[in-house]
Amino acid sequence: MNDLTLASENKTIASIDEAGEMKIVTFALGDQVFGIDMRSLIEIREWASPTPLPSVPNYILGVSNLRGTVIPIVGLAERLGWEPSVIHPRSCVLVVAISGKQAGFLVDEVNDIVVIQQNAIQPAPDVEIQEANVISGLVQVPNRTKEGGEDSHSMVLLLDLDALAITRHLDLAA
Amino acid sequence: MSDELDEIQAIFFEECAEGLTAAETGLSAMRDGDTSAGTIAAVFRAVHSIKGGAGAFGHTALTAFAHRFENLLDEVRAERIEPTAPTVAVMLTALDVLADHVAAAQGTMDLPDDSASLAALDAILKGESAAAAPAAAEAPAPAAPAPAAPAAEDDDPFGFEPVTVAITDLDSFDLELDDQQSESSPAPVAAGWRVMFGPSHEAMANGAEPMLVIRELEEMGGRVVGYDADNLPALRDLDPEQGYVTWSLDLPEWCEESRIREAFDFVAPDALITVERQEANAPAAFEAPAEAPAPVEAEAPMQDNTPPATGTTAAPAAAAPKPAKPAPLSDARAADHGSQTIRVDLTKLDMLLNLVGELVIRNSILSDRLDSEDQERVELPELARLTREIQDNVMSLRAQPIRQAFSRVPRMLRDLHAETGKIVELVTHGETTEVDKGVIEKIGDPLTHLIRNAVDHGLESPEERIRAGKPEAGTVTLSAEQKGARIIVTVSDDGRGIDRARVRNKAIERGLISADANLTDEEIDQLICAPGFSTAETISNISGRGVGMDVVRSNVEALGGRVDISSTPGKGTTFTLVLPLTLAILDGMVVRLGGQRFVLPLATVVETLQPEPNQVRSTTPDSEVIEVRGQYIPIRRLPRMFGLERGERRPIEDSLIIVVENDSSGQVGLMVDTVDDRREVVIKSLEENLYPIRGLGGATILGDGSIALILDVDALTAPNLHQNRTQMRGIAA
Repeated sequence: MNDLTLASENKTIASIDEAGEMKIVTFALGDQVFGIDMRSLIEIREWASPTPLPSVPNYILGVSNLRGTVIPIVGLAERLGWEPSVIHPRSCVLVVAISGKQAGFLVDEVNDIVVIQQNAIQPAPDVEIQEANVISGLVQVPNRTKEGGEDSHSMVLLLDLDALAITRHLDLAA
Repeated sequence: MSDELDEIQAIFFEECAEGLTAAETGLSAMRDGDTSAGTIAAVFRAVHSIKGGAGAFGHTALTAFAHRFENLLDEVRAERIEPTAPTVAVMLTALDVLADHVAAAQGTMDLPDDSASLAALDAILKGESAAAAPAAAEAPAPAAPAPAAPAAEDDDPFGFEPVTVAITDLDSFDLELDDQQSESSPAPVAAGWRVMFGPSHEAMANGAEPMLVIRELEEMGGRVVGYDADNLPALRDLDPEQGYVTWSLDLPEWCEESRIREAFDFVAPDALITVERQEANAPAAFEAPAEAPAPVEAEAPMQDNTPPATGTTAAPAAAAPKPAKPAPLSDARAADHGSQTIRVDLTKLDMLLNLVGELVIRNSILSDRLDSEDQERVELPELARLTREIQDNVMSLRAQPIRQAFSRVPRMLRDLHAETGKIVELVTHGETTEVDKGVIEKIGDPLTHLIRNAVDHGLESPEERIRAGKPEAGTVTLSAEQKGARIIVTVSDDGRGIDRARVRNKAIERGLISADANLTDEEIDQLICAPGFSTAETISNISGRGVGMDVVRSNVEALGGRVDISSTPGKGTTFTLVLPLTLAILDGMVVRLGGQRFVLPLATVVETLQPEPNQVRSTTPDSEVIEVRGQYIPIRRLPRMFGLERGERRPIEDSLIIVVENDSSGQVGLMVDTVDDRREVVIKSLEENLYPIRGLGGATILGDGSIALILDVDALTAPNLHQNRTQMRGIAA
């Protein structure tokens, strides 16, 4: 019985790999458009002020209650070394799973869910942020909802969530 | 299927760990002179269970070693070999090798070299068991032992005839059943299944227990209707480790064939197994053998489908981890074995605990919102009492004796002795102290580090000790006790104590402190917990990697506990781990600070004061004290410590001072804005999704869904060394 489920799961994964497609969710942060792997996304929530924590880095805005679990809320802009996001009505929180832990990212606006070809991902050139490796690649996605039907594309920066090391801690790693 | 197998395998390794612990306890008791039958039987059972399970999962190396080990234990159990000190020492070594074998089967280490241990076991076996063998061959006993005997055998291996000991308990029990069956009800067979089962000759050596299979079939409603003992050799040729008998069982019609076949999953493929459908009133395959030994009349014949009373089977089996049979064990162990047990997935318990936590919260919300008259009318106090009882009971489900964490220490000391040549005597107190399972799991590593430290750094070499006028053997004391809502675990040695001058120099060398730093003895002692600190002159296998004490401290702090160190030069060092009793629910006081709500553990609160204008005095620009009945108590302004200070400082008259107390720093006044109320809160860990934050014991979700942070009073009131650390942490993260 379990064999069966296991096999079918494998098949799903395999079919993704064969087609070389992956789904990403894209969102705006300042003027940039970022994307994360859809598989890490748990849910999208409206912004609600988190409970601030003492003695944490400035990008950890606090903790929120996600159905009984306490999750940290991260200012992604601060984490990437930019000006803090200004909260506005379309601000929202992307709840993601990063290596077994959950965290919420404050972003300016969620754009879309798009399917991209894995071989269309270009390696990230030296992006001008503090750590280069948090951007795992660049990909072009067609702009939707633009009037006129002319093919316009925008560049999406793919984030490597693991490399953000939100939940890692020096003392524990030792 | 493979998942299920993994799961069963995981249970097996869990049982191995339990078995090794039990064997360790038993052998240690034997070494200390307790060679009672119960103790020896407990060790035998433990090793036997491991062998059985290992055979079922095909861990051949483990099975083979356990089998040889068991042989010796069996001889000791039968009093043919005396458990002398050298013999017990060999068995203790064998136990270590067995533990390594288990680890190897688990894939956590390489296959150990067991040749030396095997040779030692065999030497003892050859030396003394030779005398016993002829006696067994001559004994004119029947092939099957007297039916009443098996239950007694384990309890009292001494009053038994040699030959019956040679046949394992399980077999004799089976035969007993068969005899009764065949005599009492050989005939009418209803429509159903006829199963023949002849275990292969090597079944026993492989650890496959025919009894388990038969019992499983019986649980499905089957019963043994006969056996074929034609292959049974003459007694002198009988190898007790071989299977000779073929059983036949009848199962009711409604059993599914696949389920019947499943019962044979762990039986070696070369066994004889047939499953046939039978029509009503078909003749029985076997006639009752006439020469079968007569059963004891008093025994009730097996009439129905009831499985044999497992309570009377003496030998353990892999599938029955806790024998229900009461044995003459020491008090603590009798408690373990005396009651029936059930194995529950820990996540289910955690879920239950969480739900109970929510129930407690709802309860306190109700009592907040209803006035006392309404509370009485809806019988809220009664509900609250019940809730508390449920909570206590669920908590106790997770509680385990700390012995589990202590049990790996003797082995470690033997290894350390081999590596360092230091002779160590272990003294333990309070092993029955019950602690939350989560705590036990997490203090294992800290304890390992502390013990290694105590032996490697603390204790002197035997020569040095004699020169210092101390006994040659060093003593390491391990103790646990419950004090209020805390568990205190101490590891102390009677060694040379902390060399403070050396620690200081090293800390300066490593840049941990400045050369002119003025530190108290306690502060110097605390330095050994600083990250990257190690005073070992040479890096040894045992300690000196410079992470040990740091890991101890961060692990203990992650549990919401702390490490205290006290040391007297020349006399020894004591490490005290102060741990929370429970990880789940806290009686707290909700306070407000700068618009944010925090929870203060009620256990630490001494009193709440509304300060008078001149009751609070500044001692330095950054520190204040409050005078309480002639005593000056330091005050901590939490907003400042937490960096929450915004705008104007609140006038002191508008604040409240909550006097809290803890073991390490005495009374301290915490300044807060207001007190909301008192309630029980469910502790949610911050490290589940983030990492532990110093000064906070976790977070909780209040009735309105918002989060309040739980203050860790110990960390907040601790001396300033910690404050620097807090800042360091901020940068590090």
